[in-house]
Amino acid sequence: MGDNILRELYNKVLSLFKQTEKEENAKDVARNRLRVVLMQDRTNLTPELLQRMRKELVELLSKYVEMDKEALELNLDQDGDQMALMLSIPVIRAKDEAEIKAELEKEDKEKEETEAEEVEEEAETEEAQESDEDASEEENETEENTEDIEEDNSDSEEEVEEAEESDSVDSEKEEVSEDKASKKETK
Amino acid sequence: MTGRVIVITSGKGGVGKTTTNANIGTALARAGNKVVMIDTDLGLRNLDLLLGLENRIVYTIVDVVEERCKLKQALVKDKKNPNLCLLAAAQTRDKTAVTEEQLKDICEKLKKDYDFILVDCPAGIEQGFQNAVAGASEAIVVTTPEMSAVRDADRIIGLLEAKEEIKSYKLLINRVRPNLIKSNDMMSVDDVVEILSAELIGIIPEDTGIITSTNKGEPIVNDEKSLAGTAYRNVARRIMGEDVPFLNLEEETSVVAKVKKFFSKLVGKEK
Repeated sequence: MGDNILRELYNKVLSLFKQTEKEENAKDVARNRLRVVLMQDRTNLTPELLQRMRKELVELLSKYVEMDKEALELNLDQDGDQMALMLSIPVIRAKDEAEIKAELEKEDKEKEETEAEEVEEEAETEEAQESDEDASEEENETEENTEDIEEDNSDSEEEVEEAEESDSVDSEKEEVSEDKASKKETK
Repeated sequence: MTGRVIVITSGKGGVGKTTTNANIGTALARAGNKVVMIDTDLGLRNLDLLLGLENRIVYTIVDVVEERCKLKQALVKDKKNPNLCLLAAAQTRDKTAVTEEQLKDICEKLKKDYDFILVDCPAGIEQGFQNAVAGASEAIVVTTPEMSAVRDADRIIGLLEAKEEIKSYKLLINRVRPNLIKSNDMMSVDDVVEILSAELIGIIPEDTGIITSTNKGEPIVNDEKSLAGTAYRNVARRIMGEDVPFLNLEEETSVVAKVKKFFSKLVGKEK
């Protein structure tokens, strides 16, 4: 009997402590939630878009390092007036030079193929232009867009390569600081 | 004379815009400035209540705009301070009754005769906000250390930055509760300033005196002993360009700190 009462008392005291611990965090919880929500407000990046960005980043970076895809952390952070995109990737293993080369060559080949396809498509659109001008205009626009994205990709590849040169550590922290104009521009 | 037009805004309702307006206006007038307050919250006017002027209003801003009276006729003088007056909002009309241009025009006219024109902005970011901001070149963004208020303040700051006419904006953090901050239950002033990365102009502690002062129609700055009143008076001094240190609210609550301060003063080593 006495043992039970003691145990109950102990649990009660313990739960009291647990509660105060939780309450102590209310400020941090508020601050962190607010940070996330403000970044979304300021950048117009919805959770879905962030998810997509994350996925694309994983695809891109996986070419160079073997990493824990689930543990990749993507956060937007405010550093004074500057907005920064914080990327934290636990690296499982650095890839061999050969592996990376093979991967890149494979990709270059694919790129060439798609480019060739694009040229074909362009030729097609030129034909289509004669018949329907409006439609072809739209297509050209989308092509331009994809080109832009490809350019962006090659830029970030260079950055990653630089980072790769430094020795592989278990967890490598990369900071991709975006020259995104300060938050207020979103309006 | 060219007066300064300051809009007091917040985004979120209920954070103390109107209270701030009444108190800063009264404090500025007490310091010898000629002050006019414009309530632009058409349909939901309250500034008159906080100043205890609700029974003296004959004409409103809508009457001025629709030329039923002259601008000067619509200005209601404060009970105590002849330097202070109010241009009340119409209670029976909505936000469309006055345009941005008309408000700009009113502010321009008032600038000639007054040192400060304080514009009380309605909550929200719609036309009412646009109107209130139209004539102003400075802004005070009122917020509290709560998530929703800070988020809305961030939105407002974004909108203010996009406005060319607004040359500067400052942050006023209202309803600060040092005890809750101390126990880590509430975001601190520093947290809010960091998140919004805006310059601070005032920290106002939560004060039950605000409720009684509102009920009496008597701004709390008239109460010399009130901590919130002192904080508002300090804001007014900062607006006038004085360099006034912020009240250390935590010190006020801790007896030990008070004793320590007392002794350090005795020794003459006050930090």
